[in-house]
Amino acid sequence: MESDEDFMSVGSSPDDFLDTQGSDVESLGEDFGDDFDGGFSKDKDIIATKRKPYEVEFNVLSPGDIDRQQNLQINEVSSILGLPPESSAILLRYGRWNREKLIESYMDHPEKTLEEAGLGTNFEGTPKTEVIPGFVCDICCEDGDDLETYAMRCGHRFCVDCYRHYLRQKIRGEGEAARIECPGDACNMIVDSKTLGLLVTDDLKERYHALLTRTYVDDKDNLKWCPAPNCEYAVDCPIKQRDLRRIVPTVQCDCKHYFCFGCTLNDHQPAPCMLVKMWLKKCEDDSETANWISANTKECPRCHSTIEKNGGCNHMTCRKCKHEFCWMCMGLWSEHGTSWYNCNRFEEKSGSEARTAQARSRASLERYLHYYNRYANHEQSAKLDKDLYLKTEKKMTSLQSQSGLSWIEVQFLDTASQALQQCRQTLKWTYAFAYYLSRNNLTEIFEDNQKDLEMAVESLSEMFEKPVPELANLKVDILDKTAYCNKRRVILLSDTAENLKNGEWTFNVDW
Amino acid sequence: MSLCQNRLTEERKQWRRDHPFGFYAKPHRTPQGTLDLKRWECGIPGKTQTLWEGGLFKLDVTFPDEYPTKPPKCKFVPPLFHPNVYPSGTVCLSILNEEEAWKPAITIKQILLGIQDLLDDPNPESPAQAEAYNLFKKDRPAYEKRVRQVVRENPAL
Repeated sequence: MESDEDFMSVGSSPDDFLDTQGSDVESLGEDFGDDFDGGFSKDKDIIATKRKPYEVEFNVLSPGDIDRQQNLQINEVSSILGLPPESSAILLRYGRWNREKLIESYMDHPEKTLEEAGLGTNFEGTPKTEVIPGFVCDICCEDGDDLETYAMRCGHRFCVDCYRHYLRQKIRGEGEAARIECPGDACNMIVDSKTLGLLVTDDLKERYHALLTRTYVDDKDNLKWCPAPNCEYAVDCPIKQRDLRRIVPTVQCDCKHYFCFGCTLNDHQPAPCMLVKMWLKKCEDDSETANWISANTKECPRCHSTIEKNGGCNHMTCRKCKHEFCWMCMGLWSEHGTSWYNCNRFEEKSGSEARTAQARSRASLERYLHYYNRYANHEQSAKLDKDLYLKTEKKMTSLQSQSGLSWIEVQFLDTASQALQQCRQTLKWTYAFAYYLSRNNLTEIFEDNQKDLEMAVESLSEMFEKPVPELANLKVDILDKTAYCNKRRVILLSDTAENLKNGEWTFNVDW
Repeated sequence: MSLCQNRLTEERKQWRRDHPFGFYAKPHRTPQGTLDLKRWECGIPGKTQTLWEGGLFKLDVTFPDEYPTKPPKCKFVPPLFHPNVYPSGTVCLSILNEEEAWKPAITIKQILLGIQDLLDDPNPESPAQAEAYNLFKKDRPAYEKRVRQVVRENPAL
């Protein structure tokens, strides 16, 4: 619980990332607030505190920031252990940047730790290439008198050309950086950055450092790359894997991309990562097939194999279990007596039992389809809204020329479009979330919230689609609706996040 | 001369000067009568005092253009009954894997000795053929019987 409290109560967030619409709309929302939220006194509290219950603390790091952070830690460890920085870097990478554990293990067994990390114990001297008379390179077998050679502290000496070639292959070809070993057979000495600096060309050095940064981010649990294409930022967030049961850590990169820090998928609030994973898996397996099955098949009352009737009479014999039954009433064929091929029975026990079982299994399918269809609908609508968004700019320009509004004055369209996107994204996941919820009073409230948001979103969507000449007159309405949508979204997310944090939800699956 | 050719020429010299007992390794002679340095025909004897004693197993070693940056491919002809040899005859061994323990400084001699060691000391962690692996894991006497048969079929002369 302590950790929960930690991340919920840390001071104000660096930037209030959900208020993309800017401050004027936010204040509008507050002005009109009382008209909309019938008795949600909670609202006031939520708006008063800077971070909302569903928001988490995070920091966006540029490649430069990552480098600085890395160097800071290297220098710190270097001064604590009294080792050169490049050796400390190797140690830290070996220890997956767990500073405390590394220092402890080094203090206990310095030599063993160095050995395992691929470092020798001898740190003297700066690396330099040498010409050694009578030397034959083990790789290329050259033996010229002026052959430049190099060896790390392990003493495996090769000519500089071969060393370079080897490093190039490792860095360019294999994308390796943190764990490039000495080219000598069975030697696990790690090539340090000084050696690298001495031997390779500048373009390779750049690549080498990029790769090192990558391993740094990959190794640290509190860092993740932004998954957006071509984005080179990383996000620093203190949420641990085990916290994911109680929180859905959506973060926003400086490139504007919203993603979940837990699983790096697109923002999926309010549904927790594990449910999202289950849901996506289920949808991948099921959805379309399930639709078809529901419409066209029945199940064998005995073995529950799915059966499609493609012709013939009502006397069915299951291919799998050889059970004989009537397609119409699902009852035993043997009980049909003389009314063969024309089922007019209703009340027999076996038939009604079979039908109940069938109904149950179909009901669960129906239930899934109910949620899936709504989920898919919002996904689809979000896509359509996105197309609309791409046209928004054009709309904004034509609105300026037609109604004489300034550029600033038509910004409300952009704001509305963003709100639509975000609310649809949230709505979409509320359906996946709801699929896994057991019914109780909390679900009632949740569904009310969901309904309010959905209605608001649909009406905003409708206004948004109006022809350009009408838009100017609708400006106030659209602004109001946008603010309202955003507010409903905040309420819904706050409610679900708080209940999730306090473990109030009951789910119909284990996760 | 390219790094690959140069190194192979030198390996050839070294091998002729000195090589472990019972082994042979020579570049393939093409039908035109020239030597192809990138394809070697080698023979690996079974170690004394092991199941494999008395056998001599023929191995084709093919060197890529990137050799010694990349490892050669070693293939038993005909394919050998052994848990770490693929049905094609290709040997699965860490020092022959670019992503694992291959280092440019590893010589042909070391490779052949490494494969000889592998014969009597299979690595159950990386099975390459089902037949030998299953027998090795589940029915050791049958496995040993098969090995003895393989040795009889490939006698050292």
